Amino acid sequence: MTALKIDRLRKVYTDTYSGEEVTAIDDVSFSVRKGEFVSVLGPSGCGKTTVLNIVAGFVRQSGGTVVVDGRPVDGPGPDRGVVFQSHALFPWKTVLGNVVFGLRMRKVPRAERNARGEEFLKLVGLEGFAHRYPHELSGGMQQRLGVARVLANEPAVMLMDEPFASIDAQTRRRLQEDLTGIFETRRPTVFFVTHDVDEAVFLSDRIVVLSRRPSRVREIVDVALPRPRRWQEAAELPEFRRIANRVNELLGDDEGAGAGAGAGDGGARGGEAGGEPDAA
Amino acid sequence: MTAPTARRRALLTARRRGLLSTATGALWFFGPLAALVAAWAVAVRVSGVEMRVFPQVTDVLGALGDLWSSGDLFRHLGASLRRAGLGMALALVTGLPFGVALGASRVLSAFFLPLLRFSVALAGIAWIPIATLWFGYGDRAVIFIVWNAMFFALTYNAMLGVRQIPVEVLRAARSMGTGRLRMFWEVLLPGALPSIVTGLRVGLGYGWRGLVAAEIIATNAGLGYALFQAQKYFQTDVIIASMVIIGVLWLLMDRLLLAPLERRTVERWGMTGAGDR
Repeated sequence: MTALKIDRLRKVYTDTYSGEEVTAIDDVSFSVRKGEFVSVLGPSGCGKTTVLNIVAGFVRQSGGTVVVDGRPVDGPGPDRGVVFQSHALFPWKTVLGNVVFGLRMRKVPRAERNARGEEFLKLVGLEGFAHRYPHELSGGMQQRLGVARVLANEPAVMLMDEPFASIDAQTRRRLQEDLTGIFETRRPTVFFVTHDVDEAVFLSDRIVVLSRRPSRVREIVDVALPRPRRWQEAAELPEFRRIANRVNELLGDDEGAGAGAGAGDGGARGGEAGGEPDAA
Repeated sequence: MTAPTARRRALLTARRRGLLSTATGALWFFGPLAALVAAWAVAVRVSGVEMRVFPQVTDVLGALGDLWSSGDLFRHLGASLRRAGLGMALALVTGLPFGVALGASRVLSAFFLPLLRFSVALAGIAWIPIATLWFGYGDRAVIFIVWNAMFFALTYNAMLGVRQIPVEVLRAARSMGTGRLRMFWEVLLPGALPSIVTGLRVGLGYGWRGLVAAEIIATNAGLGYALFQAQKYFQTDVIIASMVIIGVLWLLMDRLLLAPLERRTVERWGMTGAGDR
């Protein structure tokens, strides 16, 4: 069953300074099956985030269609939850208040939504933090909350826009493993935008590789790695390296330096130190 | 089982430290004021100026005592606070929704922004003459001036506050099915609060000053009224006493209204940075 179908998507901008027409997305078609994890990867500035924004309903396409759960997309809606790179949490709401926000908007009764909120906080390893405020959490915990806030709504598709890009490398690996764990138990449909090749291979069932702008689908790569996946084992598999190399090749044809260089490297960047809790 | 005792001890030290910090806080708050009063007393004594030019501290205290015992103090206070309260409440219920709407809509703000900038320069006391023509001499004209003095600063800051909400936060709310009305209460208003608090502080200051100036046209009571009446009879002690009351009331308003509001919202949410202190 198809959860998301993108057909002949096209996006033309008018440059505000020169007044020229710029084609960001030329012709992109692919679909995501229900319960499938699909990543979209491409050289920087190729318009992959624009594809996500169109699917989310934040940006209107110039041509083509996006259909989610059988309905054409027209503006944002609760059937498509978005996890942002910047987390985009509500600082004035508690952790629980953030998780149940969508349920409140849909008028789910309080007892039910709080129970559901607690359940999803537990799922992402944030139990016991319900009454804190987002600014009291580390970056990694904030993004777990971002994921819980979307999943609690049980959307048809969870859209993730480079969700771990601003998080330090070690924490990022943990979050990737936890996301895979959540995916393997709950099987949500995920549309994941990233520029990190290893991340895409580790998480996905399929990878849509886009060309440089104006973007088209270069190739859709199948990731036939066994689940459940853990970094330690997955990264050792010859199949993992083969797929990663293939994707890097596809990107390299377009761009001198591979886009995902330095992907998943073991903590060279010392960002926020030790913010993650021990519980998981 | 030493844990509970240890915790109690920690709590006690924390409480003691809290008391200590309130004590130093009070010292820093009252110290400069005390220094000002002392300087005033010395200056009047050394220079030997006449009372009709500038009264001694004791004269002003005497005037305050008289105002208190005659009941005039409470008459003036009551009238002023009622006018201020009404004008400020009106400014809140009109300025906040308008400012938030301007922040949310490019079209609205493009149209109203030049008008708003123009009006900020004129807000408050410049309207006193026309207000008396519209409302006559009395309460309604004064309330109008308080509202007017406050409205533009509040509107402007509410608009800026909404514009400072990151676009992803707005998108997150919309993608969870937030309707227009709920967007206002749940996202735009709290999201704009750091800037709104700044607007409140500035606006309440304008409103308070507008009140005092506008009470020149009041007919029977009010702190500003007392001030202008005293001037007629060269009662410099009453003038200075009224000024002291006006200043102290503002300090109280700031401490009892604005500071707790900030502590409970913007500071609690970790959204500080936009507000000044």
